[in-house]
Amino acid sequence: MRKFYLIAAYVFAILSIAMTILPMGTIALLPALLTLIFSTLAFVNSTELQKFVPRIVLIIAVLTTLVILGKVVLVKDKVQNDTLFEQKKEENKKENLKDLEGL
Amino acid sequence: MSQRMKKTNLLLLLCIVSILSYSQVVPNEKLVFTASYNMSGLMTQIAQVTMQTEIVKTTKKSFLHLSWEAATFSKWDTFFKVRDQYESYVDPVTLRPSLYKRSIFEGGYSKTEKYIYNADGSTINSSSSIKNRPEIKKSFSISGSTQDVISMIYKLRTVDYSKFKTGQTVSFIIVFDEKEYPVSVKYMGKETVSAGNLGKKECFVLSIAAKTDKLKGKDKNLIWLTADSRKVPVLVRFSIPVGTGQLALSTSSAI
Repeated sequence: MRKFYLIAAYVFAILSIAMTILPMGTIALLPALLTLIFSTLAFVNSTELQKFVPRIVLIIAVLTTLVILGKVVLVKDKVQNDTLFEQKKEENKKENLKDLEGL
Repeated sequence: MSQRMKKTNLLLLLCIVSILSYSQVVPNEKLVFTASYNMSGLMTQIAQVTMQTEIVKTTKKSFLHLSWEAATFSKWDTFFKVRDQYESYVDPVTLRPSLYKRSIFEGGYSKTEKYIYNADGSTINSSSSIKNRPEIKKSFSISGSTQDVISMIYKLRTVDYSKFKTGQTVSFIIVFDEKEYPVSVKYMGKETVSAGNLGKKECFVLSIAAKTDKLKGKDKNLIWLTADSRKVPVLVRFSIPVGTGQLALSTSSAI
């Protein structure tokens, strides 16, 4: 059973790292929490000598959870000021006026 | 004040009243929505959508400029940047389009499209180009009542739904990607929903159906318009081939 918990913890840890990097928001908490659960189960079912790997995965799970929560609280949803897009819009407006004059 | 001036002022006032009462769309209206995409059952906020109106004057006449912009939040820009702009220049009273423009940039894919309607609205002269490909010019016939996708959204707001019965429909014809599509809008009833800075609002719920592969499901593309004279769109739920999502009004001004 320890092996199963450990493999599941690995899989969800990789997934949670990927989802932490991607701007997935609170949805990234799902694999992070599953990593926490499976790494804890693997840790509990390990002998003293086997506890090193589950401990590392557990630390990863805690760190990713903290990063995700930090991003949710601190990173606000906003649109970056895009000068190229604004410039294009202005040019577009002038072009539209020319077209409208011809109507 | 002379009799003539009084008459002119009265005429002007009547014109303004008729514009406001008919179109339900006032200039300088700004509606900002938050677009969310459904990921494994959870709505993830991905972009900001802005709908704006303004009066544009040429030497001959005035147009109501309707614009719709979508821009992904900065956190998504690295992965999938979207900068879309849809514009329609319409008659301020009838909302009949004269010029329609679409300029999209979606994760590296770009496309521009321009429709110029002839005077009687029966023909469109179009020009379109897809990234790195030459521009294609075309001329095609449309029915006189055909709207573009942007002016149709505003046209929806001119319908009086207060007398509608549940299931009653109203039809439109839109032109998109140089093709005409019949669009059917079904009145689904009333519902109170959250409407951003407007608070909770009682709304008309409308289901939009079009014979196109761009929209999926029956009664899965819904729009909530406030059940008042302004009929402000406050919530849109859509179902497209790649998933489902929603646009929720966050802020509104000059409504």
